[in-house]
Amino acid sequence: MRDIFQDLFNKVFGFFRQAEKEENAKDTAVNRLRVVLMQDRTNLTPELLEKMRGELIELLSKYVEMDKDALELNFEQEGNQMALMLSIPVLRAKDEDEIEDATEKSEETEDAAEESSEEEQTENSGENSGAESEENSECQEESNEKESNTNSKNKSK
Amino acid sequence: MSGRVIVITSGKGGVGKTTTSANIGTALARAGKKVVLIDTDLGLRNLDLLLGLENRIVYTIVDVVEERCKLRQALVKDKKNPNLCLLAAAQTRDKSAITQEQLKNICEELKKDYDFILVDCPAGIEQGFQNAVAGASEAIVVTTPEMSAVRDADRIIGLLEAREEIKSYKLLLNRVRPNLIKSNDMMSVEDVVEILSADLIGIIPEDTGIITSTNKGDPIVNDDSSLAGKAYNNVARRIMGENVPFMNLEENSGVFAKVKKFFSGLIGKEK
Repeated sequence: MRDIFQDLFNKVFGFFRQAEKEENAKDTAVNRLRVVLMQDRTNLTPELLEKMRGELIELLSKYVEMDKDALELNFEQEGNQMALMLSIPVLRAKDEDEIEDATEKSEETEDAAEESSEEEQTENSGENSGAESEENSECQEESNEKESNTNSKNKSK
Repeated sequence: MSGRVIVITSGKGGVGKTTTSANIGTALARAGKKVVLIDTDLGLRNLDLLLGLENRIVYTIVDVVEERCKLRQALVKDKKNPNLCLLAAAQTRDKSAITQEQLKNICEELKKDYDFILVDCPAGIEQGFQNAVAGASEAIVVTTPEMSAVRDADRIIGLLEAREEIKSYKLLLNRVRPNLIKSNDMMSVEDVVEILSADLIGIIPEDTGIITSTNKGDPIVNDDSSLAGKAYNNVARRIMGENVPFMNLEENSGVFAKVKKFFSGLIGKEK
């Protein structure tokens, strides 16, 4: 009998906890594990991620005005695939003059890698000028290692 | 005959590698298969205790390697099941007393006469682990729904993937507590499987019967009324290629299961 009440209590309590959007022990564990495993698997330390974040902000702010503090750079896992998710709250897309100014400054020091992204960006800037400021644009880099293990694993017979 | 060599490993200690080895081995033997259990935890042997064979050990794996006896002489027959025998670890030696090559040779030799050779791996990722894995072509990674165990399992999976001789590995989730999962206090089976992205071969519920069975030296699969015993039996059947559905631990967790179900139906489905 105690079992039932405990269960009921957990359910009701769990419901309220969810409503408050408070993270439960299970979610905390899952999230902490995700982060720590990502570091274990890739050797990417928090310091390196922070450095990457800084450089990305520097690069991207040439083209868009964004909420730098809200920029998120995280690893996410879907099945066997690992993705580096970059979420940038865009406040305003810069106009072409501003972009030119910014790239001229950096061209003295920077390399060719940015030029390719410049092309993409100028294409987009036309569309983006009317876009909402709060829209998050997401950038995804995926390691396209297919789930090669899953097939071989299934042969248990 | 060419038997299958399966290493049972985990990285972290205390998650139930030896219990798993003893139970899967016993279950396979009960199903009529010829099974050898190899304890490779030199210096910290325990598989003999779980099987209740501690007083019968004359020769150990180190005696075989150092040619003080024949391999056949070192195999200790189980009390209950003539299909099952144990190759014990030496208690007075350390991990460096055998090499990967030597363990590989022993496994090759045993393959000729046995259906299954289960290698109980020591905790850690050092030489003991490397030795245990050397002769195997399949692995079972034992873990529990706890952060440290899952993290270590992830390391082990990485190391297993790097070894060419391991053709497949499966995950065994031990000490699962349905009540804690229900209240969102413990990671669920799905969580662990998703994080490790590995195939599951078994879900074993936490069972106090394990303690008494260990104390008696009688694996819990011999107790037909035990839930953990049934779960281990299912693992053995899956190893033999049967398609056995995973049991629903929630339904089995109490006499009031149906009443509970009714209540949870009223409150609404959980995710």
